[in-house]
Amino acid sequence: MNETNITNAKQRIEHIEDILSSVAAGDLDLRIESEYEDDLTGIEEAINLLIDDLTHELKKSLKLKAEMEEKLLKIQEQQKTILQQQEDLMELSSPVSKVWENILILPVIGTLDSQRTQVMMENLLQKIVATGCTTAILDITGVPTVDTQVANHLLKTVTAARLLGAECIVSGISPAIAQTIVHLGINLSNILTKATLQDAMIYALRKNEQLINGKVVLNQAINEETI
Amino acid sequence: MIELTSDPGWELLEEHPLETEFDIVKARQSVRQFAKDAGMGIVDQTRITTAVSELLRNMYMYAGGGIIRIQKGLFDHHQSLIITCLDEGPGIDNVELAMQDGYTSGQGMGYGLPGAKRLVDDFELQSQPGKGTTVRVVKWK
Repeated sequence: MNETNITNAKQRIEHIEDILSSVAAGDLDLRIESEYEDDLTGIEEAINLLIDDLTHELKKSLKLKAEMEEKLLKIQEQQKTILQQQEDLMELSSPVSKVWENILILPVIGTLDSQRTQVMMENLLQKIVATGCTTAILDITGVPTVDTQVANHLLKTVTAARLLGAECIVSGISPAIAQTIVHLGINLSNILTKATLQDAMIYALRKNEQLINGKVVLNQAINEETI
Repeated sequence: MIELTSDPGWELLEEHPLETEFDIVKARQSVRQFAKDAGMGIVDQTRITTAVSELLRNMYMYAGGGIIRIQKGLFDHHQSLIITCLDEGPGIDNVELAMQDGYTSGQGMGYGLPGAKRLVDDFELQSQPGKGTTVRVVKWK
């Protein structure tokens, strides 16, 4: 091997080093070029092939990453929708309506978790104050499971309403739920309960009647006194 | 988590983690469906669903979550629905006290555990402070 060959080889190795460092830095379009055919050529070609493979794999993983990101974005959007719907549901599910003079109805549908009960209780108490109604019917026909937490929430709501001077009637307790409550050992005896909404309504109307009769009697008494 | 001794013949119907209050609702719905599929009447469906609801609420409130496993198979010579709730929570210091009516360490009414026990045919609770609690309830037709 003469000296020119050695310098040549040195230059070529330096060239390989340059290319490799460029590739490492991310420039994948570069390849080793050489006009000689000798022992080094095999190495040069092998390195070129490796760079080809690397480029291919990198492109593939980039594509996969983009796909994953897109999917993640979609899932995040769906989650947002679900959360929004949960909030919407909460708002929707606690309407309090005045159905008759002095009578409010609150139909409860679905599951009573702590958050929903809070909204429900606030709505009911506000409506009691705003309308001055003294009877509120809580209809739980649409509540599939009454466990101790639900019962506890009901008790609290009824107690709070009582503090505002309104009597609550809980209606819509199915025979299966009635048996379950008894087995659980919850004492609901200080809450007025009725089997159906109709029973509760009849009770409330009777109470109204007494109230109106009472007023008439009272008015008569006052009138007689003034005469 | 504390595993209770189980029968390899039981068929696993469902097992999933419980992380949010929403998961309680989902689990409760599937328990009701499985009870229905097992041919239980409306009263038994309501009982097992309510019992599971109590256990899941406890798990959510005191342990922050856990795992619910629903199985079916022969238990004490009856075709049964077997529901296991496992958590890695703080555990129960005094199991005897926790099983008493009206006792609560939190905000509840204190009827959850003893009530759940009365609603099912078999009830097993194992708890180790610092390791977690496992409760298994069984209801047969």
